Amino acid sequence: MVSEYSILVVGYILGFYMSWNIGANDVANSMASAVGAKAITIKQAIFIAGILNIVGAAFLGSHVTNTIRKGIVSTDVLSDPHLALIGAFSALLAASLWVSFATWKSFPVSTTHSIVGAMIGFGIMAGGFSVINWGKLAAVILSWIISPIFSLVIAFVMFKIIVRLILSKQDAVAWAFKLSPYFIGITSFVVVLSFLFKTPLGKRFAIDTCSALLIALVMASIIGFTGLKLLRCMLKNKKNGVEEIFRRIQIGTSCYVALAQGANDVANAIGPLAVIYFLVKTGSVGAKVPVPIFLLLFGGIGIALGIAMAGHRVMGTIGTKITTLTNTRGFSVDFAAATTVLIASKLGLPVSTTHAAVGGVFGVGIARGFEAVNFTVVFQIMLYWVLTVPAAAITSMVIFKLLQFIL
Amino acid sequence: MRIPFISMFTTSPFDGLMEHAEKVKECTWAFQQAIECHITDRCLTFEKFRDEVIQLESEADVIKRRIRGHLPKWTMLPMDKFQLFQYLREQDRVLDSVEDVLDWISYRSDPGIPKELEKDFFLLLDSIIAPIEELSKMVSEARKYFRNYSEKQRFVVKKIIRTIRQQEHDADTAEDIVKSKVFNIIKDPVTVFHMVRLAETIGYIADHAENAGDMMRAMIAK
Repeated sequence: MVSEYSILVVGYILGFYMSWNIGANDVANSMASAVGAKAITIKQAIFIAGILNIVGAAFLGSHVTNTIRKGIVSTDVLSDPHLALIGAFSALLAASLWVSFATWKSFPVSTTHSIVGAMIGFGIMAGGFSVINWGKLAAVILSWIISPIFSLVIAFVMFKIIVRLILSKQDAVAWAFKLSPYFIGITSFVVVLSFLFKTPLGKRFAIDTCSALLIALVMASIIGFTGLKLLRCMLKNKKNGVEEIFRRIQIGTSCYVALAQGANDVANAIGPLAVIYFLVKTGSVGAKVPVPIFLLLFGGIGIALGIAMAGHRVMGTIGTKITTLTNTRGFSVDFAAATTVLIASKLGLPVSTTHAAVGGVFGVGIARGFEAVNFTVVFQIMLYWVLTVPAAAITSMVIFKLLQFIL
Repeated sequence: MRIPFISMFTTSPFDGLMEHAEKVKECTWAFQQAIECHITDRCLTFEKFRDEVIQLESEADVIKRRIRGHLPKWTMLPMDKFQLFQYLREQDRVLDSVEDVLDWISYRSDPGIPKELEKDFFLLLDSIIAPIEELSKMVSEARKYFRNYSEKQRFVVKKIIRTIRQQEHDADTAEDIVKSKVFNIIKDPVTVFHMVRLAETIGYIADHAENAGDMMRAMIAK
């Protein structure tokens, strides 16, 4: 039992390290458009991202954590507590190692894909290929392809709408004001809806889909029109353009991204940790175990610390590298990425925030929104995506064997 | 590369395009001075200006290659990449024509421009400088358009293109006047050939500016 407790401690450390990595690596992708478009400063980005990642992780994160843990790998492998413990531990260690290696080598890998790969490796070692739920795995892999495309489409449509309904108009500023409640409203609608559907809070109220939609609609309208009032108040005296209005709205959407990221990505670090935690605490792990909120909070804090410690350096490069990003574009990218990630989280699919953001940029690029964006990156991402899963899986297998030998 | 989001944003071709347009403008100014010096027969500095033109032309060439080099295959722009390259080529051809004129003069610099034609050549020169000066303005206004997609801004660009077209037309008229005068006044056939070809080559400069305008029109088409 002593060794199990030390494993728990090491598990905490690794889980923390993993979430730290998520913060350090992925925050740049989620906050980049806001910082690049000068909607918020680096300091504000770090602050907003930190706080909202914690909130998102703690209150929106539980659903995804379950899926990663038992969706792809059958619960059969968890029947032997000893094996399950080693497995969860090696998955976490393998994913951490792989992410560290990628960070060191500057590979664009997704922390999400690393942990899924590592889980698969453990599953194969513990119970052979039969324990892998291939259908579920295919769905997950499909979601990795679909999520950037989905984000691409949303960003494309959103930017086109902005061009058509606002920018190309004679009195663009007036139109921007007029339509701003809708933009704010749609954003709020998705956020409220995901709060209602996914959080323990929403579940406690036992709200059915219909009334949830109604509540979200009402909330969105209220927030939308309050936003308009605020915008009019803030921009009353200045003679500014459409971008200035969207700059304010983008502050909102970047919060939305941070929230979605926290909700989605915390599972990567906390999923295996939750298994370790339950095995140590209860001696076994059932088919369905709720992830305690303090673990999610722990993961959220890990992400926030990663953002705080490494975010500054990364954000610094954004300001100098991305000079052609304006607020209307930033808004479209943010909105698309966050919506994609929140919907994916809702469906329990572990998608990568990074890839959703890249898909968003792609969408605005196709809509002719950027002076120059290079999509060779997309192919590189795909290459590393193909590499990440087997690499993490093999690492996880090796560690599993070693641990099995030692423990 | 670690942060894919950042890696996606590459150098905007508009910076280079602006720089190139400015170089073209500078180069035509040096060209103007070279020709003026040639016409007024104080030819001591002609070669100096010609060297300056050649120098500026090679600098513009570097910019051109830099723009092309910074647009890898999968780069997405607000316009077709092909259109952008076409535009750049036309803007660059302005300089080629400028060089052609100076070369043409240098082949037979000795008798210079006949006194009777001096005034008309000056007018022709002024008329081809005007559209060149519009180019950099056009690029910067187009850049604004691609940023805000405002119909008002599109109209601003279209207006510049129209101006360039009009100026090219004026240059054509000035060229015609020179040519008809050459045939009517000059008796020496070699001089006639040299002068007619000179006027035509100068005219090409404005033609390329107009072509650049046309390419820009295609680029800003909805």
